[in-house]
Amino acid sequence: MEQRAFLERAMEQYGKATYNFAYRLTRNEADASDLTQEAFIRVFRAWKSFKPGTSFRSWIYRIVTNLYRDELRRRKTRYQEEVPPPAQPIEEYIESHLSEPVSKALEQLTPEQREILMLADVDDCSYQEIGQIVGCSVGTVRSRLHRARGQLRKLVNRHTNAPS
Amino acid sequence: MNETHPSIEQIVDHLRRELPASDDAAVQTHLAGCVLCQERRNEEVALTQALRAYAAARERDLPQSVAAGIRNAAAQRESAESGGFLRRLFRPAFVLPVAAAAAIAIYFGLNGRHYPAQSTAVEASFYVDNHAAAAAAVPFSDGEPIPATLTSSDEAR
Repeated sequence: MEQRAFLERAMEQYGKATYNFAYRLTRNEADASDLTQEAFIRVFRAWKSFKPGTSFRSWIYRIVTNLYRDELRRRKTRYQEEVPPPAQPIEEYIESHLSEPVSKALEQLTPEQREILMLADVDDCSYQEIGQIVGCSVGTVRSRLHRARGQLRKLVNRHTNAPS
Repeated sequence: MNETHPSIEQIVDHLRRELPASDDAAVQTHLAGCVLCQERRNEEVALTQALRAYAAARERDLPQSVAAGIRNAAAQRESAESGGFLRRLFRPAFVLPVAAAAAIAIYFGLNGRHYPAQSTAVEASFYVDNHAAAAAAVPFSDGEPIPATLTSSDEAR
């Protein structure tokens, strides 16, 4: 079936990226899994509304973002405050200690700031694409990104210079 | 951009290729000759690289259980949709009118095909001939001409 083939192709091409995007938002595997699954089910349901030639990544990231916001509203608190992160594997533990200043700095940002930084710097989305995902104008994306980067820069410097 | 150096925002936008072409060219030209701005640019590049390294270290594959869950949900939805379609198809509100329409179509279709509509009007001559034939079965006396029509005098006779 065409609908099924669409889903399989979407999962193959964007499954990992979507899961990682969800993981960066929620910062825990269980919620990232739930968000990813629900997002792909919505894609499956609404596959006919996808316009060829537009960005599938923007579409599914937008779905994930909206689901995440709904969930945050539903819980009335943030994921990371409710669900403690699982124990880290050893390689992640080592890495997280190597990049500790960045890690600590990111923890101090708001989820919205982390989201926009990750979209811009990790997923390399354009301002326009970020605007579509988070639902705001290009100008707003630009100012939010610069504010988030400024905040991150300051925090990284503070953690880098802080005595361990 | 102020008169001497581009702002940090402009440097970031330049790195992200988000500046208008003319501004981008101006920043590019300035960066080529300004060590201070090159350092600021390198700091921004380093910050981006740190973020990417942070994300790369935490990157993971889509868990098989999630992929299986998506496929299961899709299959369930498909079967629910096809079941729903069949249920809708066999609803009395749908079936009865369809059956009635089909019966009417079959009835008129068959009649129309095998028994072409004929005129039901009966010509007057039919009654005359019929009566003549019926009258011929009545034993008139031999030799008498068969009357074309019965008259009151014939009946009396």
